[in-house]
Amino acid sequence: MKVLLLNGEKNEKNDLNQFVGVMERKLEQRDWLVNEIKLHKKTIADCLGCFACWVKKPGLCIIDDDAQEIARRFINSDLIIYLTPVFFGGYSYQLKKALDRMIPLMSPFFTKVDGEIHHKPRYGKYPSIIGIGVMTEFNKEEAELFKNLVRRNSINLHSPNCASDIFIKDKETDCIEQKIYNLLNKVSDKK
Amino acid sequence: MNKAKRVTLLIGSPRGESSTSSSLGNYILKKLENKNFITEVLYIHSQLKSQNKIEEMLNELENTNLIIISFPLYVDTLPAPVIRSFELIVENISKNNKRKDQKLMAIANCGFLEASHNKYALKNCESLAREIGVEWIGGLSLGGGEAIGGKPLDDLGGMATNIRKSLDLVVEAIIKDELISEKAIEYLAKPLVPSKFLFTFIGSMSWRIQAFKNKVYGQLNDKPFRE
Repeated sequence: MKVLLLNGEKNEKNDLNQFVGVMERKLEQRDWLVNEIKLHKKTIADCLGCFACWVKKPGLCIIDDDAQEIARRFINSDLIIYLTPVFFGGYSYQLKKALDRMIPLMSPFFTKVDGEIHHKPRYGKYPSIIGIGVMTEFNKEEAELFKNLVRRNSINLHSPNCASDIFIKDKETDCIEQKIYNLLNKVSDKK
Repeated sequence: MNKAKRVTLLIGSPRGESSTSSSLGNYILKKLENKNFITEVLYIHSQLKSQNKIEEMLNELENTNLIIISFPLYVDTLPAPVIRSFELIVENISKNNKRKDQKLMAIANCGFLEASHNKYALKNCESLAREIGVEWIGGLSLGGGEAIGGKPLDDLGGMATNIRKSLDLVVEAIIKDELISEKAIEYLAKPLVPSKFLFTFIGSMSWRIQAFKNKVYGQLNDKPFRE
C-alpha cells in the first residue's frame, strides 16, 4: 500500500509532528509505504479557476510548480491522509491550496452519485481518504463539519473508503495511537 | 436620518470582476448604493498579494458594518485564498481584541446544478462569524453558477429571474436590518436548468467545444499521471 500524508500544518512553530510520528509508526507496522509532504515548505500557487486543466492541457495544470508532483503522487497512492488543524470546521490554507490544485485529476464530464451530479473520474482508480483534524479545544459543531467535509471530498474523488476523526492538540496523548489504529482499520477493512 | 452604513463585498473568486461571485455580489451592492449605503469591493486574491494590501483589507473589514462574502465552491468548500483571508481576520481580531458590532453573510456558487453542494462551505462561513463574534445574517447558495459567467444579472433576462428575486429580498433585508429570509434562500437555490439531463448535456457540450477550439479534443480523457 502506498500512502501519501499531506501535512497541512501552518508552519514549523505550529507543527503536527506528534501525529506524523504515530502515523508513520502505525503504517510501517502494516508494511505500508508512507510519504509525508509538509505543504508549507512547498511552492504551491493558488488555483486560477481557469479550467485549462480540462480544456487546454487535459489532466495537467498550466502552473508548473510543486503541485504537479503532488498530483502525480496523489493519484498513484492507495491512501491519502489529510493532516490539518481545523479552521472554521474545515482545512488549513496550506492543505486546501494543494487540494484545489488536484482538479486536473478529475474529468470535466458528469456522472450521478446517489442522484447527485459529480464529475466523472479521469483515472480508473482513486485513493481512499483519512482526515485527521487537530483542534486546540474540542468544538462539536466544527468537528461534525470537518467529518462531513472529508466525506464529501471522498464522494467527489470517487474514493473507495473514507474515515476521519478529531484530535485535541497536546491532550489525550494516550489515545492517539488507538484512534489512528481505528482509522487505518476503517479504510483497510471495507471494500 | 440614520448614519450611512458601510457594506464591504469580499470576492473569493480568482476570476475577479469577471466572475459569477462578482455578478451576484455587485448586484446587491448597486442596489444598496442607490439607498445611500457606502460600499467597497475587495478581491481576495489581489488583496493577499502584498502585506500592504493585506493590511488595507483588514482595516476595511474592521471598519465596516456588513461583510458580504461571495465565492465559488472549490473541492466542496471555500477556495484556499478565502480560507487564508479568514485566518488573517481571526488573527487580526485577537491582536486588536475589539468587540465587533458587525454582521456577516455569504453567497456560495458552484458549478454543479444542485445548490446543496454549497451547504458545508456556508457552514464554514457561519463558523467564522461565531469565531470573530459578528452576527451571522444568513447564507445563500446558487447551483450551475458557470451559466452566469460573470455577466451582470440585469443582462441575463428570464434565466436570472429567480436570482434577481432572491437578491432583491436580500437587499430589502439589509435595508431593514433583518436576517436573510428563507424565501430569498429558496429563490437562489432554484435550479437554473429544469432537468439534470439537460444540465449535463449542455455542460458536456460546452467542455467539448472549448477543447475543440483549443485543438485538444482527442486528449480530453488523457491520463498523464498514470503509472
